[in-house]
Amino acid sequence: MTLDSAVWSLLHEALRLYQDSPRASNWLRHHISRFDSPLRIAVAGRPGVGKSTVVNAVIGDEVAPIVVDGGQVFTWYQDGPQPHATVYMPNGPAGDPPVARVGHRMDIDLSSYASSQISRIVVDWPARVLRDTTLIDTPPIAGEISEQIAAEADALLYLTPQVHVMDVRFLQSIQDHPVARAAPVNALLVLSRADETGGGRIDALPTAKQIARRHRQDARVRGLCQNVVAVSGLLGQVGRTLTDSEYQDLTALAVAPETQELLLSADRFTRSPHSVSAGVRRELADRLGLSGIRLATALIRQGAGTPAELGKELVQRSGLNELRDSIRRLFVDRREVLKARSALLGLDVVLRMEPRPGAGQLVTDVERVLAGAHEFHELRLLAGLLSGRTRLPDELDGEAQRLIGGYGTDLEARLGFDRTPTEPEIRTAIYDALGRWREQSESPLLGSAERDAARVVIRSCEAMLTPS
Amino acid sequence: MTVATWLEVLDETIGASVRHHRPDLAERLRAKRAQLLDPQLRVLVIGEANQGKSQLVNALVAAPVCAVGDDVTTLAPTIVRYAEKPSAARLLHDGTEAAPQRQAIPVDQATGRGGDPVTTEVRLPRKLLAAGLVLIDTPAIGNLHQLRAQNTFAALSGADAVLLASDATQELSPTELELLAQVRRLCPTIVLVLTKIDLAPRWRNVAERNREHLARAGVQVAVVPVSSALRLRAAQSDDTALNAESGFPELIERLRTDVLATASAPVARHNFATMTGTAIAELVGQLNKELAVRSDGTDSPAVAELRDIQQRMADLRRRSARWQTLLADEMADMMADLDYDLRDRTRKILREVDKAFDEADPARTWEQFEGWLADSLTEAAETNFSWLVERAWWIADKVSEIFPERQEVVPPSLIPADADMEPNDPEMPKLDKFSPGQRIFTGLRGSYGGVLMFGLITSLAGLPLINPISLGAGAVLGGKSIGEEGESRLKRRQAAAKSAAQRHVDDFFLRFSKDCKDASRRIQRGLRDHFTAVAEEIQQELADEAAAAQRAAQVEATRRERRNQELRQALAKLTALHGQIQGVAGALPAASKNPLGITA
Repeated sequence: MTLDSAVWSLLHEALRLYQDSPRASNWLRHHISRFDSPLRIAVAGRPGVGKSTVVNAVIGDEVAPIVVDGGQVFTWYQDGPQPHATVYMPNGPAGDPPVARVGHRMDIDLSSYASSQISRIVVDWPARVLRDTTLIDTPPIAGEISEQIAAEADALLYLTPQVHVMDVRFLQSIQDHPVARAAPVNALLVLSRADETGGGRIDALPTAKQIARRHRQDARVRGLCQNVVAVSGLLGQVGRTLTDSEYQDLTALAVAPETQELLLSADRFTRSPHSVSAGVRRELADRLGLSGIRLATALIRQGAGTPAELGKELVQRSGLNELRDSIRRLFVDRREVLKARSALLGLDVVLRMEPRPGAGQLVTDVERVLAGAHEFHELRLLAGLLSGRTRLPDELDGEAQRLIGGYGTDLEARLGFDRTPTEPEIRTAIYDALGRWREQSESPLLGSAERDAARVVIRSCEAMLTPS
Repeated sequence: MTVATWLEVLDETIGASVRHHRPDLAERLRAKRAQLLDPQLRVLVIGEANQGKSQLVNALVAAPVCAVGDDVTTLAPTIVRYAEKPSAARLLHDGTEAAPQRQAIPVDQATGRGGDPVTTEVRLPRKLLAAGLVLIDTPAIGNLHQLRAQNTFAALSGADAVLLASDATQELSPTELELLAQVRRLCPTIVLVLTKIDLAPRWRNVAERNREHLARAGVQVAVVPVSSALRLRAAQSDDTALNAESGFPELIERLRTDVLATASAPVARHNFATMTGTAIAELVGQLNKELAVRSDGTDSPAVAELRDIQQRMADLRRRSARWQTLLADEMADMMADLDYDLRDRTRKILREVDKAFDEADPARTWEQFEGWLADSLTEAAETNFSWLVERAWWIADKVSEIFPERQEVVPPSLIPADADMEPNDPEMPKLDKFSPGQRIFTGLRGSYGGVLMFGLITSLAGLPLINPISLGAGAVLGGKSIGEEGESRLKRRQAAAKSAAQRHVDDFFLRFSKDCKDASRRIQRGLRDHFTAVAEEIQQELADEAAAAQRAAQVEATRRERRNQELRQALAKLTALHGQIQGVAGALPAASKNPLGITA
């Protein structure tokens, strides 16, 4: 039985057991319906770390932040045919504020609402990335928010420009739960505002990526997240929403000889005389930041000839692709595992809040599922391989990723067939892999972490042998 | 004010700290004293990771003396101070308390040591430093290396001024504001340096927002926006306009007015006043607390004991009422129960007697019966009496439970172990036996009628009056009469025996139950006397204890009064000292009208 079907039956079993308790059964029904909905990824962090910018960069449009009278509320971005927003309030009916799309931007009129009375805003927005994920833009971290994030999101993008003690504490608090501790597979640490690293030099982003690599190895961070990615949300957002006129202004700046002097400081850039008007420059500075302008003009001088090319370069350098890749491979592709994890968390809440005699078996079952869930180990190993935390020899690395489901979790993808294989072929392939990895698990050439990895691969192979 | 005055005040404060058992304060103040006597002014550059602290120091002295990097770079402090000729050294602590070893290194290598957690000292010939200014670059606070941050905090108490570096791309974070509040307690001269303004197009907004944040937090701190990158570039190209743009002239001016100006007059350093003030406030707080505890009085052990004893006495009064009722009730119950028991037992014996004499002939069995009756009665009496004894002991135990402090036994003499249970011999009833003469007479009387009756009948048949038939009938009837007479005599004897037995049992019952009741009353009286004595003893003891406690409380009250006096004197002295500090330090913030919170 796979993890998700096991959890699915546990949920229904619990629903049957708790059918006389309206609170518990409502909660369980909520979790059952959530089991089938798209993956919920929360974007969290301290104030000013660039949460909304990263949301925009990932979605590809400027939809965040939604500010209600100076404060921010939980904002859900989900897929929808038309731009639309629903405002949920704890007391009172759901509101329906006017929403319009202007180019890449979303216009929303929330002037008739107060932030204190809104529990959350759900925005429907047509975007490809939202088809299988729901992004949640969260208010800056404060006491209760971490609990709400832990309860509502399946996965977490935690943003911080510098890894601060507070960040580590927050990530620990999110995982301070027996189920969460058993499966710490749902967080990505994002080093945001990467364009400002090292005083906004032109090589800020490669430097930031190096720092991210260093953090992946850091014992204090390693256990708390699946991967560490450096991202400049600003550049990613601009790269994906660059307009022609912006490109032309940037080109004008790039070719003008006096621009170098101007790029010394933000004040000079926005105030000194230049052929490009000060208003335009100010707008550009707001949109790209000084380091972004430095990078963009340099890229244009190096030959980014069209807005699309420049956009692509910017996105490429912003680290957004790595982030999206990590989201896809660690979160979206493993949707069932993360959903199962959330459901187990929800189930655990019911079992703890309303213990009853018949629930003993259920508690044992939850523990059994948790302890036996090979999927969590696979995901942990995959993250280790992707982030370079666990290093296997090159030829083994790719195969390990494939076998533990890094390229797709169905049998063909795991075994690397590009056509439908026959039954004997499959068996041969599996036995082949099994033998090879058994050897590796006892190889004296590998370290203990690598041998552990090999054992996880072996279990994946064995799982493939048992018909599900 | 002469210098001697502030030194005196400081010394006196140190003395007070020692007197009031606060070696920690004394230690801190001594360190401060040493620092104040030192003409150098230590300016600490602190901040969270990557806010441009090291670059700020570099830009201030216009030379790359501190390592600058993209990730967490500064692992150990760099100290920059004045010298005629540039030089650099690493300060190596060998773990002992002695002064660090100096290991000279070339100046241009000072920054290369960024990766090692070793304090570096750089000396540079700069006008800014010539007045005694010492710049200290510190490791970041709040990054994952907490230990280093603690070192930074330790260094804070020795600082004359603090430059808090914060990035202009972001507003002050809650953690930075918290840091600011912490720093302010240790070193009040703070300048918030908004770094990297070359990077942030909207640094003016950020500066404005930061000022709002500071105002909201109630912290009066100057915000100086600077760009280290511009300053370093200006220094390279000797570009005055760029230098002005970097914001550093303003920062240096501020250092001159806010920090350097205090160099010539150590007493004017707020820091001295704040620190000494804080120390005194802490001492005053401690004394006040002690005073508050004392005047409260509840915590004094002697008073608590007295109160406890009084409580116990009231308790004892309540208990003596209780034990008396308990004893009376239990005794009454016991007597009723015993009476019933005895009556029940004798009744059973009487029933046996009745049953026995329904059958047996007392004339023959009386001797035997007498023995049995005596045994039965003795047994009944013994059982009854032993029950009485048991019950009396039980009551004694129960009552003595009320006096848990006295676990001594009730004297056994109070309860008699045995009583006179010997029933007298029952009076022998008059038993008229059926003597042979009577038998003959009765037989003859009966046979006479028979002979006559049958003689007459048979005479009709011509037989003589005395014939074998009439003689036979006479014999039969005579026998019958003897039998009947014997029967009725037996009945009479039985009745007589029964009533004799009944009388005897009644007598015995009367006598024995009287004995029992007497014994019970004696026991009750004995127990009452015993427990009254016990209660009186306890009361006496308590009274003695109360008197002792009262005396102790009085003694303590006097002592407390004396200590309070001392404390008040000490407080007055400290207040005076605080006034002196204010006098020495000039005007302290006007807001602190009663900064010590002295109420006593």
